[in-house]
Amino acid sequence: MRNFIAFIKHFQVLLIFALLQGIALSFYFSFVQFPRSQYLTTAGAVQGSILSIRNDLTKHFNLEENNTLLQKQNIELLKKNPQSFIPQENGLVKINDTLQRLQYEYIPAVVINSTYDKRDNYFTINIGSNQGIKRGMGVFSTKGVVGIIHNTSSNFAVIKSCLTQKLNIAIVIDKTTEFGFLEWKGLDARRGTMTGVSNDFELKKWTKIITRGGGGVFPRGIPVGKIESFDVIEGEPLWDITLLFEENFKSIQNVYVIKNLLLEEQKSLEEEVQDQP
Amino acid sequence: MNDIVKHSVRFFSAILVQVLLLNQIEIGFGIQLMIYPLFILLLPVETKVISLLFISFGLGILIDVFSNTYGLHASAALMFAFIRPRIFKLFDTRDGYDALVETNIFNMGLSWFLRTFGTLLFIHHFWFFLIEMFKMNEIAYVFQKTLLSLPISFAICVLLQSLFVKNQTGKQ
Repeated sequence: MRNFIAFIKHFQVLLIFALLQGIALSFYFSFVQFPRSQYLTTAGAVQGSILSIRNDLTKHFNLEENNTLLQKQNIELLKKNPQSFIPQENGLVKINDTLQRLQYEYIPAVVINSTYDKRDNYFTINIGSNQGIKRGMGVFSTKGVVGIIHNTSSNFAVIKSCLTQKLNIAIVIDKTTEFGFLEWKGLDARRGTMTGVSNDFELKKWTKIITRGGGGVFPRGIPVGKIESFDVIEGEPLWDITLLFEENFKSIQNVYVIKNLLLEEQKSLEEEVQDQP
Repeated sequence: MNDIVKHSVRFFSAILVQVLLLNQIEIGFGIQLMIYPLFILLLPVETKVISLLFISFGLGILIDVFSNTYGLHASAALMFAFIRPRIFKLFDTRDGYDALVETNIFNMGLSWFLRTFGTLLFIHHFWFFLIEMFKMNEIAYVFQKTLLSLPISFAICVLLQSLFVKNQTGKQ
């Protein structure tokens, strides 16, 4: 026993170092995989409010750019306004459309903290579970896909952005059925990769890539990027596609969170199928 | 000024500068600026290694909380604190360290500071980026990030000292 105590005393420093290092590293690697606690992230109340004060000071720097973006979006919406149409046939009775039902709702949010230079980049937004944000919801901006909600507190939420490992958003090449997954190699904030497209398929440069919309997270057709270059992966019948993101993650500010009203229904149906032998 | 007050003020200002200012500066090429190791270096020489470890761990976790790195800064700060006494011993001055003299650039001289802090900061940055990437096939990128960030972080630390640390040798 005395030897044991002497041993502990001798290696005291090393043991405490190893213990604390173990705590820190297990925190880090478990957060990369799945979030357990909101208190040690920017979704926490104190951290969130300090970051939103910072954002209040700096948000006007990009005002001009954001105004142009919103103006463009307004024009798109005005085009769809009934006032901008001339009726071609008179005398028709307008009835309520019962064939279509609202599936997606959009909740506006402001990014109050973001990075693009780290290995995994998370964005913090100024709304949380009080506003109906839940883990796993999709996030996009006027330009394109941004990411998926990673964890939430009552008034803030952290987005796992497109600039992280293992995000796996299902994407599809526009006007085809060739689909794959969005990945990021960790080096360039403007470029991502698309995996899983068979190289039988002929590709063209600068073809648009959009979300596939099958998992219920994103509706189909939100732009992701354009094909910049493609190569054959050696030994595999797949293309290695590099795509240029539509979104500029370096200056992201206004985003929308997607709320899928029929997600529960889809999930419960899919689970039922899995349970049956 | 009381030593404890002085170091507490430094502790919180290191966190605020790191979180609100330096984390937002993203130059590109993977450059990341980190100045909080300077705080650990400037802690008194006679501080016990164990308390050094706990202080660094706390500092790192607080920075992690604000930057969504969740343990990464804490791990690197611990590494810095653990190696500090060894490097101090390695680059010993001729008559040892005076417990009352702070180990800043003015008291210890440029060449000592360059060797000691340079080595420690290199280990800190290298460890940080190594754990962040955690892939052997991206090791070249780890070196690129380390070697590009190191000179800028170092220069900011020298600048901060010339602005905020009293130059006691100059007055005499």
